[in-house]
Parts: sequence; C-alpha cells; structure tokens
Amino acid sequence: MGKITYKRLKGSQNMRQRLLLATLKSTPVLIEDIHAGDTLPGLRPHEISLLRLFEKLTDDCLIEINETGTKLKYKPGIIVGGSHLVHDCGFSRAIGYFLEPLILLGLFARKTLVIILKGITNDSKDPSVDTFRSTAFPLLRHFGVPSEGLKLEIKSRGVSPHGGGEVHLTIPTVQHLTATMWTDEGMVKRIRGEAFTTRVSVQLGNEMIYAARGIFNRLLPDVYIASDYRKRLEAGNSPGYGISLVAETTSGCCISADTTVSYPRGDEEEDIEDEGKKELIPAADVGEKLASVLLEEIEKGGVVDSTHQGLLFLLCALCPKDVSKVRVGKLSPYGIETLREIRDFLDVQFVIKPDPSTGTVILKCWGSGMKNLSRKTT
Amino acid sequence: MAMDSGADGQSHKAHRSRHSGASAKKKTKAKNKDQNSDQKQQNPKAFAFRSNAKAKRLQSRAVEKEQRRLHLPVIDRSYGELPPFVVVVQGPPQVGKSLLIKTLVKHYTKHNLPDVRGPITIVSGKQRRLQFVECPNDINGMIDAAKFADLALLLIDGSYGFEMETFEFLNILQVHGFPKVMGVLTHLDKFKDVKKLKKTKQRLKHRFWTEIYDGAKLFYLSGLIHGKYPKREVHNLARFISVMKFPPLSWRTSHPYLLVDRFEDVTPPERVQMNSKCDRNVTLYGYLRGCNLKKGTKVHIAGVGDFSLAGVTGLSDPCPLPSAAKKKGLRDKEKLFYAPMSGLGDLLYDKDAVYININDQFVQYSKVDEMGGTTNKENKRDVGEDLVKSLQAVKSPIDEKLEKTKISLFSHNDRKRRKAIFGDGVDHSNLKSTDEENEGDEDDDSDNDNDEGENDRSNEDNESCSGSEFSDGDEEDLKSEEDDRSNEDNESCSGSEFSDGDKEDLKSEEDGMGNISKWRASLVERASKKQNINLMQLVYGKSASTSNTSTNEVKDDSENEESDEDEFFKPKGQRAKNSIEGLGGGNINTEDCSKSTKISELKNWKEEEVYESIRDRFVTGDWSKGALRNQMSEAKTEEDDIDGDFEDLETGEKYESHQKDDSSNGGIQKEDDDAIEERRLKKLALRAKFDAHYDGSESPEEETDVQNGGKFHRSQANDSGYYDKLKEEIELQKQINIAELDDLDETTRLEIEGFRTGMYLRLEVHDVPFEMIEYFDPCHPILVGGIGLGEENVGYMQTRLKRHRWHKKVLKTRDPIIVSIGWRRYQTTPVYAIEDQNGRHRMLKYTPEHMHCLAMFWGPLAPPKTGVLAVQNLSNNQAAFRIIATAYVLEFNHAARIVKKIKLVGYPCKIFKKTALIKDMFTSDSKWLGLRVQQFEL
Repeated sequence: MGKITYKRLKGSQNMRQRLLLATLKSTPVLIEDIHAGDTLPGLRPHEISLLRLFEKLTDDCLIEINETGTKLKYKPGIIVGGSHLVHDCGFSRAIGYFLEPLILLGLFARKTLVIILKGITNDSKDPSVDTFRSTAFPLLRHFGVPSEGLKLEIKSRGVSPHGGGEVHLTIPTVQHLTATMWTDEGMVKRIRGEAFTTRVSVQLGNEMIYAARGIFNRLLPDVYIASDYRKRLEAGNSPGYGISLVAETTSGCCISADTTVSYPRGDEEEDIEDEGKKELIPAADVGEKLASVLLEEIEKGGVVDSTHQGLLFLLCALCPKDVSKVRVGKLSPYGIETLREIRDFLDVQFVIKPDPSTGTVILKCWGSGMKNLSRKTT
Repeated sequence: MAMDSGADGQSHKAHRSRHSGASAKKKTKAKNKDQNSDQKQQNPKAFAFRSNAKAKRLQSRAVEKEQRRLHLPVIDRSYGELPPFVVVVQGPPQVGKSLLIKTLVKHYTKHNLPDVRGPITIVSGKQRRLQFVECPNDINGMIDAAKFADLALLLIDGSYGFEMETFEFLNILQVHGFPKVMGVLTHLDKFKDVKKLKKTKQRLKHRFWTEIYDGAKLFYLSGLIHGKYPKREVHNLARFISVMKFPPLSWRTSHPYLLVDRFEDVTPPERVQMNSKCDRNVTLYGYLRGCNLKKGTKVHIAGVGDFSLAGVTGLSDPCPLPSAAKKKGLRDKEKLFYAPMSGLGDLLYDKDAVYININDQFVQYSKVDEMGGTTNKENKRDVGEDLVKSLQAVKSPIDEKLEKTKISLFSHNDRKRRKAIFGDGVDHSNLKSTDEENEGDEDDDSDNDNDEGENDRSNEDNESCSGSEFSDGDEEDLKSEEDDRSNEDNESCSGSEFSDGDKEDLKSEEDGMGNISKWRASLVERASKKQNINLMQLVYGKSASTSNTSTNEVKDDSENEESDEDEFFKPKGQRAKNSIEGLGGGNINTEDCSKSTKISELKNWKEEEVYESIRDRFVTGDWSKGALRNQMSEAKTEEDDIDGDFEDLETGEKYESHQKDDSSNGGIQKEDDDAIEERRLKKLALRAKFDAHYDGSESPEEETDVQNGGKFHRSQANDSGYYDKLKEEIELQKQINIAELDDLDETTRLEIEGFRTGMYLRLEVHDVPFEMIEYFDPCHPILVGGIGLGEENVGYMQTRLKRHRWHKKVLKTRDPIIVSIGWRRYQTTPVYAIEDQNGRHRMLKYTPEHMHCLAMFWGPLAPPKTGVLAVQNLSNNQAAFRIIATAYVLEFNHAARIVKKIKLVGYPCKIFKKTALIKDMFTSDSKWLGLRVQQFEL
C-alpha cells in the first residue's frame, strides 16, 4: 500500500495527454529519455511550464526531475482548481498548447477553475484562443458541459516572439459527462471568423478578410468575419496578424481553422538575421490560404476538424459507461496518438470503422466511467 | 383513571357496554340515524372544500407526497442474462439458518443437502436463478455478506425475540446500500398459548417495522415437522422470493464484484514444499455482478488485499437457465444446482477440463447393447453418466474431425480469427480472395487449434498469436495481392469515377459493365473492409505490423493518386511520418501538436471543379445529397452488420446490389426515410414496453405491434415532468448501448466493454498470502470486488460520522477503529473534529454525544458519498452492540488541516508596561523557552 508503483513511459511525445490522463486517473508515471539524444537534453521550457500548471491546479502532487531533465517522476494529486490563479505560459509555445489539457482538467476539478494565462495567444503551431472559444466550447456542450460557465476572455493579444497576451479562462466543474451519438455532420450553414492585427497596419486585417471572403462567396453567402484590431497595451509585445475561421453546420458541428503570421522565436532568429529580416507572408495570401484550409477541413468531413480530434476522443473516453459514437474525417496523427494513450491509461479501446461512401471514419467507444471524485458533497 | 381509583382506595368495575341484544341494536341504529341526518353526508360534493387555505394545504401536501415518492432513476447497465440473485440467510446461532437453506434447496431441486458450505446456486424459475449463502456469525462475515446480498432473510427466534446480530446486520446493510430485507420468524411452535403467540408476532412485527419501514414483510414459519419446516410454508416463502424485485444499488452498479463459489490453490506444489509459507497463486470462480469487468482492473479480495488479475477467463455457465421454450414451469431436468464448496453437483467446469462426479455403485461404464440395455436404469441416469456415455459414442477422434472440417472452419471462424490478430498482422492471408485459401491452410489449422482450445480469449491467447506465426511468405502474398488489386483498379476504371461523392457515375458504370463491375464492386467492398482492420491496427497495432501496412500504403500512393478508396483513411501527415520514422519505434520525442494541416499543400479552391466538389456540403448545395451522406452510411453499417461474413462471395454480391439500389434510385430518400421511421418506431415500442413493464403492469405481446397511433400518443402523454424525461433519456441511452454493442462481434465486444455481468468467470490471482489458503473456511464467503477509478490510492478521507446510539461510550480521537468502506475493511486511527462557524476544523478529543462530527482518517480512498461503518472489537463473545459508528465520505485530500486548541501554563519572568515575557511554557530544551505576550489596547 505504501509503495508507489509508477507507470513507465519513454520520451517526451504526447506529454500533455499523458500528464492529463495520469492526473485524471491518478496513476503515477515515470517518463524517461526525454529529449535524451538532443544537443540540449531534457525538458523543454513549455513542458516545464505545463508541469508547473498542473502543480498549480492539483493538491499535493509530486514532481521530480533529474539534473539533466531527461527523467520525470510525476505522482498526481487531487485536482482542486480554484480561482485567482495566474500562469505564465512562456514564449516557447502558445496558450493553446496549455488550454487543451486545461479544459479537461478543469471539468473534473473540485472547484470552478478561474485562471489567467499569459503568453502567446495566437500562433501558427497551436490552435489559437479564438478557435477555443468558437469550436472547443461548443464541442464540450455536446458532452453535457453547461455552456453558461464556460468563458474565455481575451484581454490582450500577443504573438511570438515576445508574447504579452493575456486570457481569462473560466471552466465549470461537472459530476460526469454524458455520452453522445454524434454522427450527423450536417451541412455548412454559416461561416464566421475573426481577423486580428497587433502592432501592424489595420489594412492588413482588411486584406485578409477580403481575400477569405473571396473564396467563400462562391459557396455560401452567410460569411461574416469580424475584425479585432488591437492597439497599445492590448496588442502585446510583437507585431503580427492572423485569422481564425469557423464553419457551423446545420447539426451544430463547428469546423475551424486558424493561422497567425508573426516573426519567429528567439532560437530561430539567429539564422535569419544573416539574411536580414525575413519577409512575412502577405496578408491577402494568408486569408486565401486559410480559407482553403477550412474548405479542405470541410471536405474531409466529420463532426470536428482534424485539430480537435484528440479532444473529442478524450471526451468520449471520459464518459460514463455508455456507448459514444462519433464521426471524424481522416484520423490525424494527433488523434491517433491520443487514441493510443487513452488505451494505455484508461483501458478504453475504440472501434474504428471507415465509412467508404463519405470518406469518414466512425469511432465507437464504451466510456471509462469517469466521475468527478474530488467534488465535495454537502 | 387507574390513578384516580387508586387514590380513592376503591376499585370500581368498569362499565361494559352492550355488544349484542336489543339495547345494542338500538344504539347502533341511533348512531346511524345521527350520521344520516348530518347535512354533510347527504350531499358530499357540495362540501368539498370550505376554506381556500385548506385546499391549498391539501394540494401542496399531495404534491409533496408525490415528489417524495420519486427517486432519481438509476441506470442499470447490466444487459443480457442476469447473474443469480444472492439470498443471504442471516440470524443468530441456533435459529435455523442452515435448515432453512436446506429446505429451500429441497423445495427447488428435490435434493437433500447434507450440510451448507459456501454459496449454493439453483435454478428457481425460467428466468431466475438464486444463490443461497449462509451468513457467518462473526462481524467480518456479516460485513462481507451485506456487501453482496441482493436479498437478506433475517431469521429471528420468535420464542426469544430479537437478538443483537439482527440489528447489527440491519445497520451494516443500511450503510452499504440497503438491499431487500425480509424477516423470518422461527421457533413459533414453542408457544403453547395462541394468544401469546399472536401478541408476540404483533410485537415483533412492529419492532421490525420501526427498524425498516412500516409494512416490511415478516414471514412466519410455524414450526418443525419431522425436523423440517412445513412444506406449504416453505412453498409460500419461495413464492415471496420469486416475485421480489431487486433495485440496483449505486455502489454495486459502478463496481464489478464476484461472490466466490469455488476456490482453488494453483501454486506449483514444489514451491509449497520448499516453503510452506510462500505466497500462493489462487483461482477464484464466480458469477460476475455489478458492472462489466475489464481485464486491466485491479480487484480487492475482502480481508486479503488488493491484487491485479493475472488472468480472467469466461467459463461456460455451470448452472445455466433453461432454454427459452414456451412451457409452463421447469422440468425436473432443468432444476439444476451448483454448490462446489458443499461438494455437490455433478459437474465441475475448469478452464480446460470438465470434471464429472459419478456415484460409483450406480454406474456401468462399459457400453451396453442398445437392445439389452436395462430399461429401468435409463430413468435413473445421471448427468455425468450421460456425458461419459456420449463421449464413448463418438465415432472419430477430435483431430480427425478437425481435419475434415477444414474448409467450413475457415469461413465460420473468420470473424473470430480476425479478432485474434487485433494487434498484429498475422492473419492477413485469410482476408484474401479464394485462390489463396489453399496456401493458408496449414497456418489456419494451427491457429484454429489454439482458438478451439481456449475459446475464451484469455491473455495467453493474445500472446500465442502474436508475431511468431507471421511468416515471410504471408507478407509476400499480401504485398502482391495489394499490387494486383490496385492494378485492377486502374484497369477497370481509369480516372476518378470512384470518388465517393459521384454515385451517379458509379451507377452508370455498373449498368454498362454488368458482371465485371459487380465483381469489381465487391472487390472494392472487400478492400474497404480490409481497410477497417488496417485502421484498427494502425491505431492500436504493434509497431511491426503498422510499419508493414504503412509501407504498403506508401507504395499504393506512388502507384495511383486517384483511387481515393485506398488511402482515404491515412492522413497525409501520418503517412509521411510512418515512412520517415517507422512510427513508435523511432522518435519518441515527437513534438506534441494537435494541428496537422500544412498550408503548403493545398488544392486550388478557386477552380470551379474543385469547389464544386464540396458544394453539397453547404446549405446552398443539394440538400438531398447532403442528407444522403449521413443516412447512407448508417444504413450501410447496419446492413454490413447483418450479413456479417464478407468473405463470402454471395453476400458480397448482395451487398453490392444494395449499394446499387441506393445510388441508382433518385428518390432513395423516401426509402431511407421509411427505414428510419421504422427504426424510430421500433425504438418507441421498446421504450413503451419498458415503461409498461416498469410501472408494474406487464403489457401483453400484441400491444407492441400497435405502433403508430395509440402508442405514440401515449408516450407523448408521458412526457410530463422532469422525472419522466429523465427516465426516458436513461432508457434511450440503454437502448442505444444495446444496439451499438450488438453490432460488434463477440471478441471485439469483449475488448471494448470487458466481461459482461452474469458471466461465470475464473479469476487467477498471484502472490496471495498463504494465510488465505491456510485459514480458508467454506462457510465464510469470499468477496472479490473490482476497484474503481482512483480507489487504489491512499490519502486522508474526511467523513461525517455519528456514534451509534446503542454504543455505550463516546469515541476517543486516535483510538484505533476498524472501518468498512466500499469493499474494504481496515483498521485506522481517526481524528475527530468539528467545523466551527468560521470554517475552521477544530479537533475534538471525544465524539459529541448526539451529534455528527467530522472524522479524518488515512486509508485507501473511496469516492464521496460512500457509506462507512466502524467497529472496535471483532470478537464474538461481547454482549454489547458491536457497531460503534456510522459515517459517509465527504471528500478526500492528500493533506487535511485540523487545528487544536492548546492551553499553556508558564510563569512571567519580565513584565513591562504592555508586554510580558513568560517562561517555562515548553518543556523541550530548545532555545525558545518563553513566550512574549503583548496586551492589546482596547
């Protein structure tokens, strides 16, 4: 009873899902060989930041890292949540990287989670905060999360390399999720979006909107892309611009795409300085490209886009012991990795059945029966 | 009055009013007349309510009563055959527990039971099995018994009255989710006086009611006849048991558990000989109850500890329900019973063997001539004997049979065998077209042997199939086949006719090409089927097989870009990744990123044909086509599940024709709508039937046939109120679950949902302390409970505790107590506290007299709201009530904060104007010997 047996894992891959599932299931994990072969071995700054975030949210968790940072021992505590929390996400990854595990963790916390996240709000690598608001939150609603409590306010935007963005996130707690049968993808009825600029000319934003609309207008008249042009303090520390689009279907699915254009981060900067400042992609091209990305996501089908597959699978697996059935487009690598981690941690396997007529995949699973155990009874 | 008369010193005879005769009649007449003359009685309708307030009060009371009646509906997730219900017979010693079980068993099975040891399973009806367990009299046994009882028969000695055991057991039951309880009064033949008997019955009944609820059933067994309870009364008792309904209890529906009815030590004898106190391996047998058991689940053996399961096997039911034929009652043959611990029952099923118990003197083992067979013996034949005889009658040994059945085995076992490879690419050869069958045969045989031997798919099964049988030849075949197929694709349809959206194209092509196209289509179907396996493999498979398939994919890719069907489900990023790093094996430090779309490789969406291709995904496109996308796939998956065996060419054709139907008809939508409508109605009917059933009025079979009209209306009418909605939702979810799970084949299902409730399981557990074997007592039932999410961790639990009012003393902080939470019992030292008004938890040295307090203790965690029971002393020879407190879990923490008020005494050594230094407050020899106290100004 007293001795802790750790689940042994290797490598830094899927760190987020692993830590998340370990915390939800309270299995202690021991991860070895983290970036062991690299010139700079050990945990990356964003991974350390993620660990700190987990430490903040949980009660009495134990994190041990060896000197080189290649070995991590994590014994999860009880998810507490709570308000007045502040976390600095650093500049190596965007806030989106932290939000993905955070929203699931918040659902199973003891108290409603209210947290301020600081760092890069929009990035090309991670889903932007706008996407979370427009796509991930409606996704949670399908699993029985009350929409009233979910809130994400963008106080200021920040792009790489120097960030400076700030978002306020509120996530309610649930007793348990509800299983869903969600295979009807419906037809796209409207496209919404948000284009932003920070510390650059407003004209760039308008160009993006104009270009994106140009693509959509042939397919759908109901396109509205809002503009969010930040100035001064609200604009963070670096210049950049980006756009996030979401297509809503008749059956309530949201399919999103987003991108951001800004100057690269510090470590990459040195190479570039030789060539002088690298040119950013023109705004019109960005709008056009992203509209195409969205159309491609729509073409793939499924109730969510490829970015949110992982979240969808996690939610399905965390349902009570009922059958959930969802339809997605092509399985994304991230989705596949998530499926594997789910099997390893929660012992939940999905039945994956392709649907050749539409080119989609239907996944079925029997939930793990997860319940919020940390909530206090009265 | 008595007092008064006493005071007067004189006793008057009380007046006795007439009950019969003329004067009595007169009186009653007058009374009636009086009532009749009352205005209210003449026209009661006119005097319904006089006061507005009263009416309101009455109404609100009625509403409240109705609401109180409602309970939050509990989801019962046990589908299919139910496990036997556990009837625990409990009572103080010498009250007749064993006798009751014996007579009940005799009543059900006509067998005489010499002694009652361990659970006894019997078939009591067409749909019902019972498992009788005698509750041991020590407190541990009672606690365990309360955790698995579905029905508790509390035996009470009527001539003596209630004893402590009964109340203790009732309290235990209440803490661990109250199952059904029925009292049984025995020893009533000791009363000679009828009146006294009646009075006693009345008294005991009312005492029993106060403990449970008014109207709880108390059964009377009047006495013994020839050392047995009267037949009629036992029959009545059995009748009561058979109509009883068992509501699901929340703890049990969320945890799997087994009542062990067979227990064996399987440690290698050498190890025991070397060291008689070495840890043992044991096997535990029993019906799975509660919820489904997954292979990875850890279990708790009550009184022993937590163990991970070394092996789980589903065995065939040793006491199966009779086949569902239409007849009244049970035949004698079907009145099975199974009690391995009592050493009874003819058959003993093991994992790989069946043991038959035959009474030697009645059996003739050698074959008897068909004609000369003794006819009178025929009737007496034992089950076991029958089996032996049937084995003798076998004409050819099994291996010969196997050889003969080669081909049929292949097609029948196909589904099953596919599952066996779930993780690795062993059996690709099976999925190939018929010309490969011959080649694959040798392999198949060996595989089949395995499968036949252990049809239960244990862990070993998986291991034996993995990797080793993968011969290079197979792989070669696979590749060449792959190539062939893709080439054919190219030949028969050049270009992109086969892209998914263009059903019209497909149709026209099929019409034109006739046979060839049909054959081709079936091929495509098969290919897509194969894709299914590849997909599961790709996600969950071992790295060897994944890399294998991925190389195939790459090849396909280079060959033809157009055949969408082939590569649809491989994301581009994935493929690239596979080819570069061999997935899983190579880079373990890949970046964690959920976005995967690359902006660089985009189609030109400005071109008309490109954007027109997804026109139907928008509301501006063709709605019927868009809707088709969903419906067709649904219909298809359904179809797919019905005909199942796709290897069969015939079904393949059938399938194909169905698809053609779909695509060719312009107005298929109507058809599909019909199908959907039908399904919906079916669902509704099912639900309605359930509702009727649930309300207690069993609806006759024909009623379900009335689909459209009345039924639909009724269910709509039912839609009043939140409660009904909730119930309906739960029912719908259940139907969906059943429908979805029935879609899957057995092995996948096992993989997905684990072992189902009602299965007879064999659990193998390693490294059990030897004491479990040493002190094994068949009369003490063994409970094996599954551990839920997060329950294996330890920490501090906060419980709301109340000392039991029958326990004489208050409880002291840090006095060790034995608690029972969930499946576990353990000793711990609680710290009692109470919450002050400012939210501080102040430590208490003793529990309050008549109040709840908080108790904090360390131990394995249990989810909030779990009931807790505490005892201090387990010994049997104490007269007092053994249960000291009851509680329930509020929350758990890894650390808890309790503050203690302390009083310190010291002497002032220096006194200033507003400050004093105090010394000798602490006895430790640390530097800080005094305390500085400052007086605050007011």
